[in-house]
Amino acid sequence: MATQPAILSPRGVARRAHGFLLRPEAGVFIVSVVLVLYFQLANPNFLTDANLQTLSQFVAAPVIIACGEIMLLICREIDLSVGQVFALAPFIMGDAHEAGLPVVAAIFVALLVCALIGLAIGLITIWLEVPSFITTLGMLFLVTGVTLTISRGFPANTPGGPLITNLLGGWGYAEIVWALVAVAIMHVVLRHTRWGLHTIAIGGNLTAAAEAGIAINRIKIGNFVLTSTLGGFAGLLEAFRIGSTDPLAGGSTIMFLGVASGVIGGTALGGGSGTIIGGLVGAILLGVLQDGFTLQGINAFTFDIIIGAAILIAMIANIRIARRRQRGGE
Amino acid sequence: MSDVAEAIRAEALTKRFGSVTALAGVSIALKRGETLGILGDNGAGKSTLIKILTGYHQPDSGQLFVDGKPVRLGSVDEARAFGIECVYQDLALVNGLSVYHNLFLNRELLRPGLLRLLDHAAMRRRAAEALAEIGVNVPSIEIEVGALSGGQRQAIAVARAVCSQARILLLDEPLAAMGAREAQQIIRLIERLKARGDIAIAMIAHNYAQTLEICDRVILMQHGRVTFESATAATSAAELLEIVRREYRQRA
Repeated sequence: MATQPAILSPRGVARRAHGFLLRPEAGVFIVSVVLVLYFQLANPNFLTDANLQTLSQFVAAPVIIACGEIMLLICREIDLSVGQVFALAPFIMGDAHEAGLPVVAAIFVALLVCALIGLAIGLITIWLEVPSFITTLGMLFLVTGVTLTISRGFPANTPGGPLITNLLGGWGYAEIVWALVAVAIMHVVLRHTRWGLHTIAIGGNLTAAAEAGIAINRIKIGNFVLTSTLGGFAGLLEAFRIGSTDPLAGGSTIMFLGVASGVIGGTALGGGSGTIIGGLVGAILLGVLQDGFTLQGINAFTFDIIIGAAILIAMIANIRIARRRQRGGE
Repeated sequence: MSDVAEAIRAEALTKRFGSVTALAGVSIALKRGETLGILGDNGAGKSTLIKILTGYHQPDSGQLFVDGKPVRLGSVDEARAFGIECVYQDLALVNGLSVYHNLFLNRELLRPGLLRLLDHAAMRRRAAEALAEIGVNVPSIEIEVGALSGGQRQAIAVARAVCSQARILLLDEPLAAMGAREAQQIIRLIERLKARGDIAIAMIAHNYAQTLEICDRVILMQHGRVTFESATAATSAAELLEIVRREYRQRA
């Protein structure tokens, strides 16, 4: 009760607004809103149900992948192979279904395989002390090879009846709903559990984390498992949405979009800080750009130039805001 | 047994690293409410001694006693279970986390329930109480530790050790790289902890004047041995300097 007047007073409101503007994701959010207005003025079809579905599908997979990559980036690791796991998962599910398992069980088998890939990455990185950049670069090629082998290089149809298909991607907004569920859960994990706090501590000061007795290896390996599993889950959702899956789906592009979403949203590439909400906002910005320019019919080559430049600009802006925030904190 | 309880005692500790003898038979004893200063050159064995007391290293020979009972400290966790906490030079704080998260690092308070969520409110409240109790001032317990001054950070590191029920507090150069005013804050903090009477403090230091000001007793270590021991009241910076100078003349 005592804090109520402070919040309602003009000065309290101003202070809260100021605090919001200093948050890394705030600038990205404002840029996204401006872009939405611009695209809507340029093409009135932007804010229609059909296009919002398309937009949400641009956003969903990178957000889910960003949830994992943000945890890894915070504890100073990265997973470059998550896009290949994304492509592998639907084929594992397809094979498990063909072998006689019901679709739901086949989904769990696929997720388990993804989790094991993450476990392998984690164990190689931690036990053999190979930097995760290298471990996952190797895994990137290895998993692509496995996917091409078991698919024989051909796309496959996604199994499943209408109910499962609609729940897991067939319905236009299904994917984004799952992505938002992942964001909500991972936000709570990062901000409100020991796991999240210890992930930040490991990235912020490894010596301090070790001296405090934090189980560093367990947390890092766990975050690798989490990222691979989320990557596989995103791949499954895409397969259900499209109805078929290509062995070269996802790949480095989707991994890069996931990492870029996190970094644009304020996750430090050097570790120690980041937010899941920031990853969501970053993915929305990238999705709005992608969808907006597609709607305007921009040439695909020009489009990559624009996206690349936009990512660079957003990252530079983010770093500058982070510096201002640090100075403001003193 | 003396009338004041002995907190920790080390007898004839030795430790070699390859061909280097870090400790060549060191014995020390520390009582509750007492503050011991450990002086000596780089390489005299001060850090090795502290690391044996914290369970980080194990001695090659010799015996440790906590509360008069012989103990073996196989790891930092085992030492911690005896109430032995060390505040290292590198300050074991996470800059990107708030003051209260640092105070509770790996000892977080959880809300009841299956989800095991962090109880931020309880940690904030307890952190504020704990800091007030030992007289540490920070602008806000929600502020990130990275935004604090060196002295404030050192105070938070000491406070964390005290919060975790330390009964034997080891400080590795608590006043290093600190301005005079900041050093005064830490000196006052150590004096307040000493006044509580239930904590034994041993600190490695370089500054003779400051050590004599804070500590009840000093030892001087040279080449892995304790070469001088005295109550601070019975010695002076001049005497300590003279011993060290004599040593240099012998070596020359």
